[in-house]
Amino acid sequence: MMVRLLCLLAALIAAPVLAQDGPLRIEITEGVIEPLPVAVPNLVPETEGSAEMGAQLARVIAADLTGTGLFRELPSSAFISQVSDFGAPVQYADWKAINAQALVTGAVSVNGDQINVKFRLYDVFSGAELGDGLQFAGTTDGWRRIAHKVADVVYSRITGETGYFDSRVVYVSETGPKADRRKRLAVMDYDGANVQYLTGSESIVLAPRFSASGDRVLYTSYETGFPRIYVLDVGSVQRRVLESQPGTMSFAPRFAPNGQTVVYSLSQGSNTDIFSMDINSGAATRLTSAPSIETAPSFNPDGTQIVFESDRSGTQQLYVMPASGGEARRISFGEGRYGTPVWSPRGDLVAFTKQSKGRFHIGVMRTDGSEERLLTASFLDEGPTWSPNGRVIMFARETQGATGRSTLYSVDITGRNLRPVRTPDGGSDPSWGPLQR
Amino acid sequence: MNTGQVISGIGHAGLIGWVLFGGVFRSEPLPFEVTEVSVISTDAFDALFAGPQPETGTEVALPVQPEVEPDPVETPAPDEVVVTDPPEPAPEPEPEVIPEPPAPEPEPEIADAPPVQPQPEQQAVIAPEVSPRAVPRPSERVAPEAVQPPDPEAAPDEVEQEAVAQDEAGETVAEEQEATAPEEAATEIVTEAEEPAGAPTSSPRPPARRPSPPTETVEAPTPAPTPTPTPTDNAVNDALAEALGGGEDEVPQGPPLSAGEKDALRVAVSNCWNVGSLSSEALMTTVVVAVDMTQDSKPVTSSIRLVSSSGGSTAAANQAFEAARRAIIRCTRDGYNLPVEKYGQWKEIEMTFNPERMRIK
Repeated sequence: MMVRLLCLLAALIAAPVLAQDGPLRIEITEGVIEPLPVAVPNLVPETEGSAEMGAQLARVIAADLTGTGLFRELPSSAFISQVSDFGAPVQYADWKAINAQALVTGAVSVNGDQINVKFRLYDVFSGAELGDGLQFAGTTDGWRRIAHKVADVVYSRITGETGYFDSRVVYVSETGPKADRRKRLAVMDYDGANVQYLTGSESIVLAPRFSASGDRVLYTSYETGFPRIYVLDVGSVQRRVLESQPGTMSFAPRFAPNGQTVVYSLSQGSNTDIFSMDINSGAATRLTSAPSIETAPSFNPDGTQIVFESDRSGTQQLYVMPASGGEARRISFGEGRYGTPVWSPRGDLVAFTKQSKGRFHIGVMRTDGSEERLLTASFLDEGPTWSPNGRVIMFARETQGATGRSTLYSVDITGRNLRPVRTPDGGSDPSWGPLQR
Repeated sequence: MNTGQVISGIGHAGLIGWVLFGGVFRSEPLPFEVTEVSVISTDAFDALFAGPQPETGTEVALPVQPEVEPDPVETPAPDEVVVTDPPEPAPEPEPEVIPEPPAPEPEPEIADAPPVQPQPEQQAVIAPEVSPRAVPRPSERVAPEAVQPPDPEAAPDEVEQEAVAQDEAGETVAEEQEATAPEEAATEIVTEAEEPAGAPTSSPRPPARRPSPPTETVEAPTPAPTPTPTPTDNAVNDALAEALGGGEDEVPQGPPLSAGEKDALRVAVSNCWNVGSLSSEALMTTVVVAVDMTQDSKPVTSSIRLVSSSGGSTAAANQAFEAARRAIIRCTRDGYNLPVEKYGQWKEIEMTFNPERMRIK
C-alpha cells in the first residue's frame, strides 16, 4: 500500500510534465513558393457550334493564369474526369488524383454575335466551390475580354488581389534598324494581343502615358522638330497639343490620379524643371526651380506626392516632393544612377531604372528608399510601368549591337517570372492602363 | 671571493637550473575535449537497439488498439463529398443558378470600341521568340530545403521512389509504379540581377530527424491472473490512471511527442504550404488552424478550422487559411507518420502558419 501511495505521489508530480495542455501546437514558418496547379477544361458548349469558342476561352483563361507565374496549368491529357455538363457534380477525387488544386469549369453559348459565358471555381482539396458562379455576356468580337474577366475573378479569389488581365497597355511600336527606327504609338491587350496603332510613323513619338481612367493618353512627339506634349483621346484618336511655348521643350508628361492635372518637364536653355498644368484651363505651375535637370515625375496614388529624378546632387538620383512643389527629399542612395521612377498603384513601392557597372536594371524600393531590390539585369532595361494591381512590372529591354531590338518584358515584383510580351514589332516605353470596366 | 658572491653564484645557478629543468615557463597545454568514440559492428548496433526496449514494444502492442472506436473521424471519401457538393446537382443548368454578375458586368456590350486605325494594313501577328535566356537560372520553386534537379524520367512528387516495372515473366510481386522525385527547388528567390552562382545548392540545415517507424507488434504475454483488488486499491488505481492518462483507456496517450517527431510533422506540412499565390497582405497574416486527426495520422478534412488570425484583414486571413488548409490536406496521402502509441497527444493539433520568413524569400 505504501508503495502504491508513493507511486501516486510520483505520478502526480510527473503529471504536469507529461500532460499536454490542450492540443498539440506547432508553428510552421517555412513553406514553398511554387505555381498552384490549376485545371481549366474546355468550356462546355451549350449551343451548336460553340465548342471551338469554349476551347479558345479556356486557352486564354489558362494563359492568363499561368502567365502570372503563380499558377501551373495541368494538361488536358492528364484529366481523369471530363466536364461535359456544367451543372453536374464535380468528381473531386479525379481532380485530386492529378494534384489539381483549383478547377475552373464553365459553359458557353453563342447566339448570333452574342456570347454568354458562365463559370465556377472549385478548391479541389477542400471539396468546395470558391465563391459563387458568375456569367458574362457580350459580343463574340469581345470574347478575349470575357476570358480575361473570368481569369481576373479566378485570380482574385485565389490570391486575394485584384486581377490585371482585362487591361490594356499603350507603348511605342518600333520597326526598322536602329539607325532608321520608325516609332508610333500603339495600344494592346496586356498580353500583346489586339494591337492597334494610334499614330503614324512619320515622326518620333516617346513616352505615352495612360490616364487613370484609360480614356486618354499623353505623349511626346517630335513632329515639329522639338519635343511637344500631346493629349490623345483613345476612343476617337483625336489629339491636341497640351503644352507649347516658343523656345522651350516639353516632355515626360504624366497624369495625376484625378485626370485633370498633368505634370511634365520643361526645358529652357540648359535648365529643366518640373511643372504642373490644369488640363482644362492650361494654367501651368512651376514645381521645381533648381539649376539642375529635374524630370520623370510620377504621382503617388492619392496625388499628394511626386517622385522624380534629378541630378542636383551631381548624379542622377530619385527624390520625393509634395505635389504642390516644395522641399524634396532624396530617397535613392545606392551605387549608380537612378531614373524613370514610377509610384506603385498600391502606394508602397517605387519602381525605377538603375544604371550601375555598365548594366541596366529594373528595381523596386520602398517610398523612403529602403529595401531596394533589383529585379532584372541586361544591356539595357528601362521604363518600368505597373500593372493595375501593383503586382507586375512591364518594361522595355533592348539588345546590344546594330541589329539590337527593343522588346517589352514583364516581371513579378518578387523578381520571378521574367518573360517577354509578344508584340508584332519591337516595343518600348510601355504604360499600363487601368482595369477596364 | 666573498660570501656574498658565493651566495649570489649559488642562487643564480639554482635559478638557471630551475628554469631549464623545472618547467616553470612551459606553457600550459591547450584545453581540448576528448570525445570517446567506440566502433561497433552493424550487427551489434542492431542488437543494441532491437533488443532491450521493452517499454516501447509493450506500448505498441496494446491489444485494445485496433478496437478503440470505429474511427468516427475518418475522412469522408471524395465521392461522398461530391454527393453533398454545394453546386446544384440538377442536370439542367438553369441560368438563375449563376447569380447575376456584379455591377461592372451588366454591361451587355464588351466591345472594345477600337480606335480607328490610321494604317489598317497593319495586323497584329505573333512575334517570334526573343532572345532566350542563355544562362541557366535557379529553380523558380522555392522550398525550405534546396532540391537538386530530379531525374527527368521521374514524375514530381513529395516522396522520392524508384520505378518498379513488371518484369517480362510478369512475376514481379511489387506493385508497378513510376519513378518519382521531389521537384527541383531553391531556398530563396534569385532575381536576374542577382548572381545565380550565389544561390546555395544545398541547405545548410541538417535534415530533420524522422520519427522511428512503429515497432513491430510484440505478442503480449498472457496476463497472469491477478488477485481481486480491494476497494482501496481501486481508488488508488483510478487516481493513478487519471493522473497519467485522464481515464481515457481507449486512446493511447503516451508521452509527449519528441522534438524530432514534431519536426517531422512540421517539415511535412511545410513542404505543402504553398504561399506563392498569396497576396502581399495575406503574406502579412499569421493564422492559427486547428485540425482533428484520425488514428492513422490523417487530418479530418471537415474539422480544419480557423482558430485565430493576426496581421491582416478578414479577407487576407481567409486567403491565408485556404492556403493552410490545402497544406494540411495535400501531403497526407499516407498519413503524417506520427507515433500511434501517442495518439492522445496529437489527436488534435493547432498549427500556427507564420509567413514572416516567406516574405523575404
